Amino acid sequence: MSNTHILSSSFNSLLASSVNDIKNSLKTLRTLHDRLRDIHHDEKQNEFMQLEYESNRMYNCLMQLLTLYKLDLSQFSPTIDEYAAADILEEITNQHDSLFSFGKVEFISQCDNDLFCYCDRMLISNALSTLVNNAQRYSRSKVLLSASQENDYVVFCIEDDGEGYPESLMSSEYEQLPQLDLTSGNTGLGLFFAEAVAQLHSQANKRGYIITDNNSQFGGARFKLYLP
Amino acid sequence: MAINLASKKILVASAHQRMRDTIKHILVSVGAKFITTAESGVNSIAFLKKDKFDFVLCDYDLLDKKTSQQVLEEARHRKLLPVNSIFIMVTDEHRLELEISTVDNKPDEYLIKPFSPIQLLSLLEKCLTRKEYLSNIENEVDSGNLYQAIYHCEQLLQLNDKSMRLTLLKMHAELALKIGDFKKAEDIYQNILNQRELPWARLGLGVVAVGLADYDRAIVTFKGLIAQYPMMLEAYDWLAKVHESMDNEENALSVVNSAVTVAPKSILRQKKLAILADKTENIALAQKAYMATIELGKTSVHLSPSDYSGLANIYLKNNDADMALEIVNRMNYQFKNDPEAKITAALLEIRIHQEKGTGHHMAPRLAQRAYENLAALHKQYDKRITRELRLEMAKAFCLSNNRNIGNEIIDDLVKTNVDDTLFLQDIVTICDTFIAKNHAETLIGPLNKELAAFNNTAARLFSEGDIKGALATMEQAVLKRPNNHKIILNLIKIIIYSIKISNADPKTIMIAQSYINKAIQLGMPYNQISVLQTQLDTFK
Repeated sequence: MSNTHILSSSFNSLLASSVNDIKNSLKTLRTLHDRLRDIHHDEKQNEFMQLEYESNRMYNCLMQLLTLYKLDLSQFSPTIDEYAAADILEEITNQHDSLFSFGKVEFISQCDNDLFCYCDRMLISNALSTLVNNAQRYSRSKVLLSASQENDYVVFCIEDDGEGYPESLMSSEYEQLPQLDLTSGNTGLGLFFAEAVAQLHSQANKRGYIITDNNSQFGGARFKLYLP
Repeated sequence: MAINLASKKILVASAHQRMRDTIKHILVSVGAKFITTAESGVNSIAFLKKDKFDFVLCDYDLLDKKTSQQVLEEARHRKLLPVNSIFIMVTDEHRLELEISTVDNKPDEYLIKPFSPIQLLSLLEKCLTRKEYLSNIENEVDSGNLYQAIYHCEQLLQLNDKSMRLTLLKMHAELALKIGDFKKAEDIYQNILNQRELPWARLGLGVVAVGLADYDRAIVTFKGLIAQYPMMLEAYDWLAKVHESMDNEENALSVVNSAVTVAPKSILRQKKLAILADKTENIALAQKAYMATIELGKTSVHLSPSDYSGLANIYLKNNDADMALEIVNRMNYQFKNDPEAKITAALLEIRIHQEKGTGHHMAPRLAQRAYENLAALHKQYDKRITRELRLEMAKAFCLSNNRNIGNEIIDDLVKTNVDDTLFLQDIVTICDTFIAKNHAETLIGPLNKELAAFNNTAARLFSEGDIKGALATMEQAVLKRPNNHKIILNLIKIIIYSIKISNADPKTIMIAQSYINKAIQLGMPYNQISVLQTQLDTFK
C-alpha cells in the first residue's frame, strides 16, 4: 500500500479543519499581541508593527484557504452589487497606506471616477489586496494599481517594476493548482484565489478571469483581473 | 480630509484599551469633541439609552459575553439609534467568514482591523456623505410619511448621480412595496434585472409576487434564489412565509430548518423553527430548537418567557412534568420581576400539577395554589400584558372555577381586537370551545351595529352640509374602533373635503396625512389610499 492512500479520502477536510484550528490559534496570538501592546505602548513600535504585518499575512492566507474550501463545497456564494471602481481602489490604497509609507516603494492608483463594476466587493478587494501586498514585496520602486473598461469587462491591473513573475506563475491555466514548490516560497495561492474569485463573477455567458504576464509598463510583473 | 466631527457625538466601544485610545486619538485629531468610551456591551447599551449618538464604533470584542453584533441587534430592537446615526463594526474577521455573511442585522459599515487613520476617517466620511444624501428620505420614513419619502427618492433619482442610482432604486422599490404599489415595485426590479442579474432585485420580484398573492410564482422565485445563493437567508424567510400563508406548515418547517442549518446562531429563526416543529408535532426537533433559542438568548434581546414555556410544554408532551417544572424555575431565574414571566409560570404550574395529579397527593392543592396566584397576577396587571397571554389566561380561568374572570377577559379582548381578523379568529375558537357557540358573535354583533350607526350619522350630516358634524362623528368613531379600515377611510375623505372647502390649514393637512400613514400601516390597499394621497398633495 502506498502512502498516498492514507491521505486521499478525507485529506481536504482534514486540511480545512487544521486551517481553521490554526486560524483560531492565530486569533488568540493576536489578542495576546494586542494586550502586550497595551502594556508596552511606547516601546518597540517597529517590532509590534512587524508582528502585526506578518500575522495579517498569515491570517489572510488562512482566510483565503478557508474561502476556497467553502467554495468547493458550495457553502459560499458571492454577494454581487454595483460599486464604483474608484471606491474599491481607494479602499485598497488606504489599507496599504502605512505599509507603503514604511518602505521605499511608491504606490500609485489610477481610475476613472465614473467607472462602475458589478462584484462581491469584499472578495475582490481581498484578492487584489493580497496581490498588491506581493507586488510591494517584489517591486524595486513602484506599484501601479489601475482600473479601466476593456470591451465588456472592467479590468483591475497591478503592475510593478520588479523581476517579473517566474515561469511557473505565468500559466493561463489557473484552474490547475500551482506546482508545489517548497523551496521558492511562492505558493501561488494569491493568484489561485484571484482566479477562483474572478470565476464567481458572471454575466450572460461571460465569466471573470485573470491574466499574468511580464508586460508591465515599468518592466516588471503585470496582473489583470477581468470582471464581466 | 474634509470631515468635521466637532459637533458629532461618538461612542467608541472595545474591550482593548489600546483600540479605544487609538480610535479616540484619530477622532480627536480631526476635531471630535464629544467622545464616549465603553469597554463592555452592557455599558454600550447603557450609554446608547442615555444619549443620541451620531456615530457608534463598536469593536467585535467587548468585555462581556455580548459581541458588537448583539449590541447592534439590541440597539436597533430597542430603537436606541436615531435615524441618522451610523453604526460601524470594527472586526478582525473578514466578512468572508460564514458568521458575518449570514447575520440579519448588518451595520452601516465594517472596519477591518488593523486599520490606518486614513482608512477610519475616509470610512466615516463616506458614511456621513451617504447618510446626508439620503437624509430627506430616511427622515420621512422615520416619521411614517412614506409617500413623501418616495417623492424625495424620485427627486434624487432625477439628479442622475450614477453612484447612488441603485441605492435609490432599491429604496424606491422597497417603499413602493410598503405602500402596496406592487406594479411600481415590479417595474423597478424588472428594469434592474434587465440590465443585470442582481440577487436582491430577484428577491424583490418574489416579494411582489407574495404581495399579489401569486404564491406559485413566489415559490419558484425564492427556490431559484436559494439554489443559486444558498446563503441568502431572506429567500428562506420569504419562502417559509409563503408556505405558511398557504397553510402548509410542514413545508414551512423544512424551509426554516434549512435556514437554521445555514445560520445556526440566528435566535429568531431557531424560535420560528421551534414553534413550527411544535405545531406539526415534531417533538424532538422542537425541543432541540427551543433549547438552542434559550442558549442563544443568554446574550440576546430576543429571548422571551414564551421560549421557556414552549420548552416546558414539550416536556409535558413527553410526560416529563419534573423537567417542565425545572424549566419554569429557570425562567423565573432569568426573568426576575417580569410580569409576563410570572404569568407564564403560573399558567405552566397549573398544567404541570394537573398533569402530575394522578400520582401525587399534593398536586391538586398545588394546582389550586397556582390558580390563586394567577388570579392575583391578573388583578395586579390586568390589561398591561400582551393580548396573547391574556387569551391564555382566559382559557385557564374558563377551565377552572373562575369562569367569570375568563369571560370578562374574553369580552374585553373581543371589543379591543374586533378589527384584527386573525387574532379575532383565535378568540372565537376559544369562545366556541370554552364558553358557548355563538358567544363571540353575540359580542361582535352590537359592535358592528354601533359602527354602522356612526357611518350612517356621518353620511347624513355630510349630505346635509354639516361637514363639521360629520367630522366630529367620525372622530368619535375612530376612538372606538381605531383599526377599522372603513372608519379611517371615511374619516380621511371628510377631512380632505373640509380642507377643500376652507383654507388649507397646515395642521389639518398633517392630521389627514397621519391617518393616511395609519391606513398604510394597517395594510389597506394601494388603490384606495393613493387617490386620497394625490388629493391631499394638491393642498401642500
